[in-house]
Amino acid sequence: MTIGRNMTRRDFIRISSIFLAGAAAMPAIPAGILSGMGSRPAGLADEKIVYSFCEHCFWRCGIAVHVSDGKVTKITGSEHHPLSNGRLCPRGAGGTGLLYDPDRLAYPLVRETRGGKQQYRKATWDEAVTIVAEKLYRIHEQYGPGAIAMLHHGYGVSFFKKMFSEIGVNKIAKPSYDLCCGPARQASVLTYGYPSDTPEGFDIMNSRYMMFFGTHFGENMHNTAVQEISEAIRRGAKIVVFDPRYSTLAGKAEHWLPIKPATDIAMMQALMHVLISENIYDKPFVEQHTVGFGELWDSVREMTPEKASEITDIPAEAIRTVAREYAFHAPAAFVHSGRRTNWYGDALQRIRAIHILNALAGNFKMPGGVVAFQKFPLPQPPAAHEHPAYEKEAYSKYPFFPQDEPSNTIASHEIIQQAIAGDIRALFIYGVNLPETMTLGRQAALDALQKVDFSVAVDVLPAEVTGYVDVVLPECTYLERYDDLDNGRAFRTPFVALRQPAVKPMFDSKPGSEIARMITDKWGLHGVFAPTVEAGLDKKLKLAGSSLEEIKKKGVLVMPATDLYRKSGEPLNLKTPSGKVELASAQLKAGGFDAVPRYTPHPEAPEGYYRMLTGRKPMLTFGRTANNRFLGDLATAKENEVWVNTGVAFSHSLSDGEYVKLKNQAGVVSEFPVKVKVTERIRRDAVYMVHGFGHNSKQLTWAYKKGASHNQLISRTDIDQAMGAVGFQNNFVTFVKEA
Amino acid sequence: MTESAHEIISTKINPGVVPHLHIWEWHIPLYLFLGGIAGGLLLITSAMIVMKRHFGFGPKDQGDGCPCLAVRIGSVLSPALLGIGMLFLFLDLAHKLYVWAFYTTIQPTSPMSAGSWILIAFFPLAVLQAMVVNRKYIEKFDIALVNKLIVWADDHLVKVALLNAHIGVGLGIYTGILLSFFSARPLWSSSILGMLFLMSGISSAAALLLLLAPKDERHLYSRIDANAIWVELVIVGLFVLGGITGPANSHGAMMHLIAGDHLMAGMPYMYWFWGVFVFAGLIVPLLVEVLENAGVHLHLPPVAPVLVLAGGLVLRFLIVFAGQTWHTFM
Amino acid sequence: MVIDTRVCVGCSACVYACKSENRVPEGFCRDWVVQETGGSFPTLNMENRSERCQHCDNAPCVTYCPTGASHYDEFGTVQINRSRCTGCKACMAACPYDARYVHPEGFIDKCTLCRHRLEKGLETACVSICPTRSLNLVDFNNMTSDIRALAGGKEVYRQKEHAGTEPRLVWISARNKPGA
Ligand SMILES: Nc1nc2c(c(=O)[nH]1)N[C@H]1C(S)=C(S)[C@@H](COP(=O)(O)OP(=O)(O)OC[C@H]3O[C@@H](n4cnc5c(=O)[nH]c(N)nc54)[C@H](O)[C@@H]3O)O[C@H]1N2
Ligand SMILES: Nc1nc2c(c(=O)[nH]1)N[C@H]1C(S)=C(S)[C@@H](COP(=O)(O)OP(=O)(O)OC[C@H]3O[C@@H](n4cnc5c(=O)[nH]c(N)nc54)[C@H](O)[C@@H]3O)O[C@H]1N2
Ligand code: SF4
Ligand code: SF4
Ligand code: SF4
Ligand code: SF4
Ligand code: SF4
Ligand SMILES: [Mo]
Repeated sequence: MTIGRNMTRRDFIRISSIFLAGAAAMPAIPAGILSGMGSRPAGLADEKIVYSFCEHCFWRCGIAVHVSDGKVTKITGSEHHPLSNGRLCPRGAGGTGLLYDPDRLAYPLVRETRGGKQQYRKATWDEAVTIVAEKLYRIHEQYGPGAIAMLHHGYGVSFFKKMFSEIGVNKIAKPSYDLCCGPARQASVLTYGYPSDTPEGFDIMNSRYMMFFGTHFGENMHNTAVQEISEAIRRGAKIVVFDPRYSTLAGKAEHWLPIKPATDIAMMQALMHVLISENIYDKPFVEQHTVGFGELWDSVREMTPEKASEITDIPAEAIRTVAREYAFHAPAAFVHSGRRTNWYGDALQRIRAIHILNALAGNFKMPGGVVAFQKFPLPQPPAAHEHPAYEKEAYSKYPFFPQDEPSNTIASHEIIQQAIAGDIRALFIYGVNLPETMTLGRQAALDALQKVDFSVAVDVLPAEVTGYVDVVLPECTYLERYDDLDNGRAFRTPFVALRQPAVKPMFDSKPGSEIARMITDKWGLHGVFAPTVEAGLDKKLKLAGSSLEEIKKKGVLVMPATDLYRKSGEPLNLKTPSGKVELASAQLKAGGFDAVPRYTPHPEAPEGYYRMLTGRKPMLTFGRTANNRFLGDLATAKENEVWVNTGVAFSHSLSDGEYVKLKNQAGVVSEFPVKVKVTERIRRDAVYMVHGFGHNSKQLTWAYKKGASHNQLISRTDIDQAMGAVGFQNNFVTFVKEA
Repeated sequence: MTESAHEIISTKINPGVVPHLHIWEWHIPLYLFLGGIAGGLLLITSAMIVMKRHFGFGPKDQGDGCPCLAVRIGSVLSPALLGIGMLFLFLDLAHKLYVWAFYTTIQPTSPMSAGSWILIAFFPLAVLQAMVVNRKYIEKFDIALVNKLIVWADDHLVKVALLNAHIGVGLGIYTGILLSFFSARPLWSSSILGMLFLMSGISSAAALLLLLAPKDERHLYSRIDANAIWVELVIVGLFVLGGITGPANSHGAMMHLIAGDHLMAGMPYMYWFWGVFVFAGLIVPLLVEVLENAGVHLHLPPVAPVLVLAGGLVLRFLIVFAGQTWHTFM
Repeated sequence: MVIDTRVCVGCSACVYACKSENRVPEGFCRDWVVQETGGSFPTLNMENRSERCQHCDNAPCVTYCPTGASHYDEFGTVQINRSRCTGCKACMAACPYDARYVHPEGFIDKCTLCRHRLEKGLETACVSICPTRSLNLVDFNNMTSDIRALAGGKEVYRQKEHAGTEPRLVWISARNKPGA
């Protein structure tokens, strides 16, 4: 038997409960936090507030952590942090549920075979780190740095990036590019010459007219965006939502247009058609600041509202109305580019179409339109080691994959494929629950995990991924550690934010900064990191004229608001090849792709099947909160439901509240049943379910078996050949009644 | 918000239950049932005493001024059953250690406060009456003070019994009023509920006496029972009609009771109400007793009183539960 | 409170904020969120709102409480004195808004309007977390111009007004058109 070639070599290990926090240290959990009793005022006397930022999603709002008697009692919005403005989304408020989760990983674990049975053994940090350092070193020696890859999501990863850059490992992927905002980023690069960011560059607060395709703010609870939208509503802004489902945002819209899924590009083309044919676009802007108008018009000339109406199932008159209203309110109007933009593998073109609609409105750098927020200029200290030979190497095979992001050099599905092919031999996984996140399907993720010679997961919870790796390293939560400074967010008032521990790490968990240091030390690379994480942060801040001590007080350094709007006659100086907004992209054309967005039809559901759409619940973020019993306490947070149109439910004899299993077009049946929600709020050709449920790791005692996994039902993926994103909405399901 | 609303999601309780709020469980219906019987017993026994002592009507006298054996038993049972009922009431309190708080204040607007004082007032007189009618047993203990009390009470027994009759009626009505004051619960919020519970209490008490009375006394209690059931049937009719013809809230709540498919112990309310309470608990025993009174001897075991008692019990459970499982005032 | 349902997204942050601020035990809540959808596809309407005790001016929970545990405080809010509460639940049956619950420790609990915070000059926990500023704490005897502007000219309502409890939560209807 050749090690590493046997697909079933790595049995899934159920982490024994003695390795989890609950059995070991439940008494450490302050009474009254998860099952809170009594009234609050008693605990207030010695309360101290620690300012930090949230890790329950990738927005990174500032939080005020209230600590009393060494326990975190509540988390509120930091009044100093521009992204939270003193307020939080529900998940941000629910951090205690993660911190005091009795299922947390408590000790390092090492896979071993005893009596023919694989199991985890509790290890000391030194043992575990020695194994990790040695294995990675050996694979690096034998196969080169290209045989090691890291998958990551979460802000603590910077230390591991630095650790790997020391040995030239450069295959680093964040699934959130492939599966999430990659297309929006690259569409912005190709159209405007700069990547779109977080928060997305829209002047929501001052807008008069906002169009959303799918983006479901209000369920997608990006705090700042939701705050600005509500402010805009108060100021009288109108909202238009194209969504096959009546989302919460649709509930606030002037027009809800239940578009047939997968036909958005046709709709956008029709909107362009009306803007141009009725001559209501911003002609001076287009003439001065854009290229490719002729080619654009040629491509939308045929897409009349009537034609689009047939494709999208939206009346032609409604299309005209929306286009006219949009033009009327321009430039204080925009079309939002969305967040999880990868739907059907053609998202790059779809988001390009959105950017073009914005350009036609002439809203660039106009109040209420598209704006470019600024980042806090934080000087970076020079790197301690250089590996020029490795760092220049680009790994992704997709021509429009970003070239400028050391944290994302390759698509995560490429890593999965290379691991299955045997080219990647070690996987280092930081904060990614691979079997439930990677959407080349669950099976591909498991195959990759089986195939590699060595794998490590750094996680806080016994998520599914931790059952398949060789070493599990328990990181402490974001409330118990320092991370790198956050100056990655561009906003109205540029800022840099601090993550600092509110309480000491519980159990035998450690911060990423320490884990990475221990590994590099084992490699004999001393001095890669500053002597302490505090010293490193202080040094960086001193370069910016501040200090750790100063930033600790408010958790953030904030610059005055920048000027977001252009003056008339001001040149745009865009970094596109033409220096202008590229309505038609010569780059794409040169790469063999459409220069302007074009609608192409997508597969339709087989008879009796429905397109499976997905989205978010406001109080949860998939793996990050699935086991959070504080957040999970509400009736609406306990499970996901499959939304079924009333008529469809009738034809399948489904009743509201009934549990069914779902079966996809490839015959995969959901492991767990899911509750049917019979509703008028969705079209007849689609069903909808929130991602992040149906966990099959029994060690997630709260999340186990609640609802059904969206990820499990993905058998078909559509990869965007230009920029490597993965669309997964060409999957269809039907209902299997429980016997 | 809108009349056509068809989808309500609440974080509070699951949508299938919203906005039902089940507050009281078995304790309160049992307490109301026992309280009703206690009131009924007190009324009937007091009436019997007054009839005997003042008007000279009634079954044979054993010479000690007590009309009959049933009255002897009933007088004792009345405070005893109420005591048990109050035990259930106590068991229902979520904060038992604070039960004293009832008796450190008088809240004039709170029926429950009034009730807790009525209950206190009930015992001394009811117990006294029970002692008098059973004086031949008690005097054996030969406790001077007690004997004195009995002698005194016996002299004033008509007055005591008259007062007790009123207290009995008050208690019976109170068991209904307690609920009917809750204007937030449309099913309960009916002024007829007091009368209904009173009549049900009387018929149940009569049925209980009928069960316990020696053969020669039964005829009398059977008549009382038949009349009480008759009146109760009329009141049930009024209660139902009042609900159905009432405003949307009352209408909905009444339909929930009489046509609802909400389950109690696995059976829909509708069946409980019509099948168990009205038919088996009122109509069947009424027929049986009318026939018996008319001299048609069915030679049945005492089904009628058992059915009446069961019906009375079911009525309390039904009203308490259906009142809670229908939403609060909309 | 004036609750602006035009902006509320039903996220429940207010519920969690209350739960941690007031140590509301697992399985219970002092405030809750309702999402109500009406109409049929594709003509639908929706209202999201965060609900809690209405601190009624004529509160049946106070009227029916046999022990005086439920009472009005000096600001007119409705409070429960835990050391007088017997847990008889009469107040729960009396409340048309289902605002109360039995705390596992026996007493009855509900929204206190974060009295302990108001006393310190802070806003309530739910108000201060709400990302959409749907919740507005208002002294109706002393209305600021901001609040007048917020509610002015709009369709507002109170819940179950015909129950006669004189509720003190005022709702700006989601039916208001943009810019109303
Ligand atoms: N509370 C909460 N907030 C979150 C997250 C969370 O987990 N919880 N996750 C965060 C992350 S990582 C992301 S990426 C974002 C995602 O947030 P969004 O970008 O807003 O989400 P999407 O998944 O792109 O869009 C979901 C919506 O698109 C609709 N939709 C599906 N298919 C189509 C289609 O073909 N056409 C159109 N027009 N609409 C369609 C769905 O019905 C649904 O309403 O949310 C972020 N915010
Ligand atoms: N089927 C399906 N798949 C999807 C999506 C979908 O809608 N449907 N959405 C996609 C999108 S938009 C995104 S952004 C991705 C998100 O993908 P991921 O970020 O991979 O998703 P999570 O499930 O949140 O996984 C996070 C893991 O990090 C762990 N974790 C939490 N906090 C920490 C920490 O402080 N340190 C460490 N080391 N680990 C931590 C959690 O325990 C969990 O195991 O998923 C994508 N995948
Ligand atoms: S949006 Fe919510 S979960 Fe995301 S960072 Fe902000 S508070 Fe945390
Ligand atoms: S926090 Fe605000 S927006 Fe969210 S549910 Fe509560 S009131 Fe509505
Ligand atoms: S809402 Fe209910 S609990 Fe609150 S004051 Fe009014 S009646 Fe009392
Ligand atoms: S449960 Fe407590 S607060 Fe409520 S009515 Fe009874 S004593 Fe009063
Ligand atoms: S005011 Fe305070 S107690 Fe009342 S719901 Fe809001 S947070 Fe909870
Ligand atoms: Mo995402």
